[in-house]
Amino acid sequence: MQAEGAPTAMHYAEPETLAEALSALSAEGARCLAGGQSLVAMMNAGLLAPPVLVSLRRVPGLDAVEPREDGGLRLGAMARHFEVARLQPRSGGAEIVVEAARRIGHPAIRNQGTIGGSIAHADPAADYPTAITCAEAVVQVAGPQGARAIPAADFFHGYYETACAPDEIVIGIEVPPGPPGARAHYEKLMIVDGDFAVVSVAVMLAMERGACSFVRLAIGAVAATPLRLADAEAALLGTALDDATLARAGALLAEAADPVDDMRGSAAFRRKLIPRLLRRAVAEARAKAEAAHA
Amino acid sequence: MNAFVDPLGASPARLEARDKLSGSARYLDDLSRPGMLHAAIAQSPHAHARILSCDVSQAAALPGVIAIVTGADIPARRVGGMVKDETMLAVGKVRYMGEPVAAVAARDAETARLAAQLIAVEYEVLPHVLDPEAALAPGAPILHEDQAQYVRTMEGGGSGNLVWQAVLAEGDAEAAFAACDVVVEGIYETPAQYHGYMEPNGVLAEPEANGRVLVIASCQSVHHVQQRVADELGIPMSQVRAQVPKVGGGFGGKHASNIHSICAWLARATGRPVKLALSRTLDMEIQRSRHPARIRLRTGAKRDGTIVARHAEILLDGGAYADESPNVMTFAMLMVRGPYRIPHVRIEGRVAYTNKLRAGSFRGFGNPQASFAGESQIDELAAKLGMDPVELRLKNAVQQGDRWIGGHTLTTCRLSDCLAAVRDAQAAAPKLPAPRHGRRRGIGFASLTHISGLMGTAASVHMRADGTIALNTGCVDIGQGSDTVMTQICASLLQVPIGQVAYAAQDSDLSPYNWKTAGSRSTYMTGRAVVGATEQVREKILDHAAEMMECAKADLELRPGGRVGIAGVPGREVGFREVAMRSLFKSGGPIMGFHGLVYDGERFDPKRALMQRLAFDNLGVYTFGAQCVEAELDEVTGKVEVLRMFSAHDVGRAINPVSCEGQIQGGIVQGLGYALTEELVWDDDGRLANPSFADYKLPGIKDVPRQIVPILFEEPEPTHPVGAKGVGEISMVGTAPAIANAVAQAGGPRLRRIPMTPERVLDALEP
Amino acid sequence: MLDRIALTLSVNGEPREIRVAPMTTLLEALRTELALTGAKRGCNQGVCGACTVLLDGRPVRGCLTLAVAVGEREVTTVEGLAPPGQLGRVQEALEQVGAVQCGFCTPGIVLALEGLLRETPHPDEDALREALSGNLCRCSGYVKILEGARRAVEAAS
Repeated sequence: MQAEGAPTAMHYAEPETLAEALSALSAEGARCLAGGQSLVAMMNAGLLAPPVLVSLRRVPGLDAVEPREDGGLRLGAMARHFEVARLQPRSGGAEIVVEAARRIGHPAIRNQGTIGGSIAHADPAADYPTAITCAEAVVQVAGPQGARAIPAADFFHGYYETACAPDEIVIGIEVPPGPPGARAHYEKLMIVDGDFAVVSVAVMLAMERGACSFVRLAIGAVAATPLRLADAEAALLGTALDDATLARAGALLAEAADPVDDMRGSAAFRRKLIPRLLRRAVAEARAKAEAAHA
Repeated sequence: MNAFVDPLGASPARLEARDKLSGSARYLDDLSRPGMLHAAIAQSPHAHARILSCDVSQAAALPGVIAIVTGADIPARRVGGMVKDETMLAVGKVRYMGEPVAAVAARDAETARLAAQLIAVEYEVLPHVLDPEAALAPGAPILHEDQAQYVRTMEGGGSGNLVWQAVLAEGDAEAAFAACDVVVEGIYETPAQYHGYMEPNGVLAEPEANGRVLVIASCQSVHHVQQRVADELGIPMSQVRAQVPKVGGGFGGKHASNIHSICAWLARATGRPVKLALSRTLDMEIQRSRHPARIRLRTGAKRDGTIVARHAEILLDGGAYADESPNVMTFAMLMVRGPYRIPHVRIEGRVAYTNKLRAGSFRGFGNPQASFAGESQIDELAAKLGMDPVELRLKNAVQQGDRWIGGHTLTTCRLSDCLAAVRDAQAAAPKLPAPRHGRRRGIGFASLTHISGLMGTAASVHMRADGTIALNTGCVDIGQGSDTVMTQICASLLQVPIGQVAYAAQDSDLSPYNWKTAGSRSTYMTGRAVVGATEQVREKILDHAAEMMECAKADLELRPGGRVGIAGVPGREVGFREVAMRSLFKSGGPIMGFHGLVYDGERFDPKRALMQRLAFDNLGVYTFGAQCVEAELDEVTGKVEVLRMFSAHDVGRAINPVSCEGQIQGGIVQGLGYALTEELVWDDDGRLANPSFADYKLPGIKDVPRQIVPILFEEPEPTHPVGAKGVGEISMVGTAPAIANAVAQAGGPRLRRIPMTPERVLDALEP
Repeated sequence: MLDRIALTLSVNGEPREIRVAPMTTLLEALRTELALTGAKRGCNQGVCGACTVLLDGRPVRGCLTLAVAVGEREVTTVEGLAPPGQLGRVQEALEQVGAVQCGFCTPGIVLALEGLLRETPHPDEDALREALSGNLCRCSGYVKILEGARRAVEAAS
């Protein structure tokens, strides 16, 4: 029984500069409002009642959706999912982020939701956290002490917890392209279309003469944060990505995972899915990489 | 003038479609009243507990709170279906987590909710039981200690946590099994499904003149709501008036609801309108679900595929209150034999109380559970016999004129045609593209049976001064299209365009009695009433016209567009307007017709079958159909995807074929959700774990087949004056087993438990 | 006490002044402050799509949008698609094919399709399904809704 829509003395601020936004955010319990697609749902469910809500919609400079010259992406925190989803990626890094954006929710959610909001919310079953972890994107954060850049690997701290302090604001995400020739694939099992993942797998890899010359894996919804495992990636590197090797990497990841039971599946099922989805995701990414070569 | 098109069978657009499309149609939560208060519910935090005290002082002190009601304030009377075991607010005990214990009326919804949270209830927590087998085991905590004292409409054999038990048998099943060449046996489990009507339940109650209370409810029958509220409040039905706005889906989940009585109580107490439009979560926590079922089923056959015997033990989980459990259980028992000529059948049914949300009526009414078991097992039998599953069904299928278990005659039955039709349609359809790597394809079938009938209904037809027609029934359109169908029938018989028939909204003060929108009965039952009433009006029109035209009535005919002429004589005519004016101002009095009926078909035949404590003894006419599913199983994830479906139905005469198709397609998708994704889940404490659409998974457009092909067999039903039967529920019932059969046929596992989630499929595929 | 904020929303082409608490969703504001009840509250969690409205022509969840955060963006509700007594192209098409059953999801379905057609006048079948993917319907099985969507596309061509 949730206290749906419980009233609260909430104040709303719509600052017009980053400095004003940071100042407003310094209030006790203040929260940023980006696209609102998670925050408002939680407020409606009575799970959250921030005393101060700081909208970022008028803060200039947060809405970039730009391909970088190197093929990567420069995304402002307020870049909406649909804007990212319609990009034509020109690198493996861009590809994994764009593919993930296309798999988020439904059109109406993508029209409002933002990448900054999604990663700041840090739901490990969401699509962007896994994708930007795979892409080794860098999250730019502004705070009272100035700006800092946090690698995705260090950004996610736990369920709904990040390196972004309560008085800081995610302002953008830099997505590096990854090595030349790298391609990516985002695989996601959903119980119903548009849902959060039971398990998701982000793969970026490159092939040279039939062997894997580069690979990065991130698994979503199997731990408090997106799962990356150097051993698993090392196990694949230099191999032909044969079934036995993939099974070994999958087993390492499944062992490292720390999933929970929830409505979408049990922890055991999630562990079981990891190697299976990994094999499929790698096959897809590899097919793209080899097609690009041919 | 355009040529008159007979509206019967013509699928005109729904009467209310434009209102719904433009946003002007009014649903319950769209209504408001000056000075209206908002209600909120205080809920039990325990699955089973004694209420020691309830302190409302803090809540009452909150500014804006106008009234509070608790179990201590309400009349000490239990209400319900066949077992009167429920009060509108918990009295003395709570029996499921979330159960309403008190309600608040306040000047705004936020204040009401805040006040509800301030109601301090002291509980003595009791052990709880969530599983029906455990509930029936010795030593289980008892939910209703006073069950023996409860009023019931007939003896159901209940005691302890056993709500009801019944037996139905024909022939000698045990002896027959011994002579079978092949026997298959299994336990089939089905979940608590949530109705998922897009509009949650809601009610607006307001004081009316002369001390009465008006209850406007999103409901399936104003008469039922009126009766239940009067019963619960302990006042005569004459003091309660019920109305219904547009209803955003029902599926059996919008019959009586405690919230109707709660708001009526608050409106009477405050003298002000009180509204409660449930949030989705509250609706899921306090309304109803489909009965979870565990069915042990055994079927025996001769080597040639002749099915000889079937034995079923049905255990339903009724939740905390009986509601319609005895009826649902009885209907499951009557359907589990299936539409096959099986001479030796024994069926035992039980339903148990558990500390969970009450289970109640839901499209199919016990039949989806029974059909999942029965139709899955037919395929298992076919596999064991080495027979084609469709051939096995055809070999044993009931035929027109056969008797159902219990003895009802099948007046129309196109089951064999339906089975052949879906098989042939699938075979003739363009082949689907080959499956992608790692996916397997299978085709599955199921036979479908349901009924169409039950209880009383009525209609009245009046002619207005200008010759147009007013049609009035108690049949509530919950989205299935009955407003349009009733209007079509009336307009067709009078040969006027449907625009000349005004169909009234339901109001217990004005509408002729109707039991409920339930049992696939509106077209079949209320449709018959409309025919009867309209025919009376037609006769009176002809009487007047005969006098006006000074000719014999027998020589007259109705002509399209609201005119009467002499058969074979073009030209001389009188119009309905002239007839109406004459009746109102000159002679005969207003032209009106009224026809009421109760379903009075064959009763069960006690000489034919053993029948102990069945909650029905007649049902209605039987309807038949067949389902064909093409499904794909993802070996990597265990996910099942339905690619295409064919669904053939023995609908009698289709009055509105497009609406029939809509019912079929919608029922199939509700069945698909039941088969694959939908399940209410309770945690060990008895907390409903997924009371939101974020966690309860309804299928969206990308989860359903790209093609659902309906096939209608229009064999006129002889007991209906225009030949119609109902089609509201039947497509729901056989979808899950057809999908399960397709999964097995694909080389996947034989799943005897739904929903067939990726996890369950994968666990069965690779444990 | 709750802050109540005075706002001017542009709704169906007209400026509308309202006062709402900051937490008030656009859905609630439309329904209670402006009596535009076409958008429905089906789940209040952004799942069902019954609350769909257009913001600057794009479908969004009315229940996940705060009224205070709408700003200068143009809000289109189902009531704004055609003059009273008339229907827009999508509405006409859905009526013709019999895609309206209980009708509770219908305004959201209409706006989801309207939003698609404004951006993509000639969508293919997959685009239609994608556009409708966030709108639950419990009555129709989506078959006739999709048929109506196809007809709306044809009518526009």
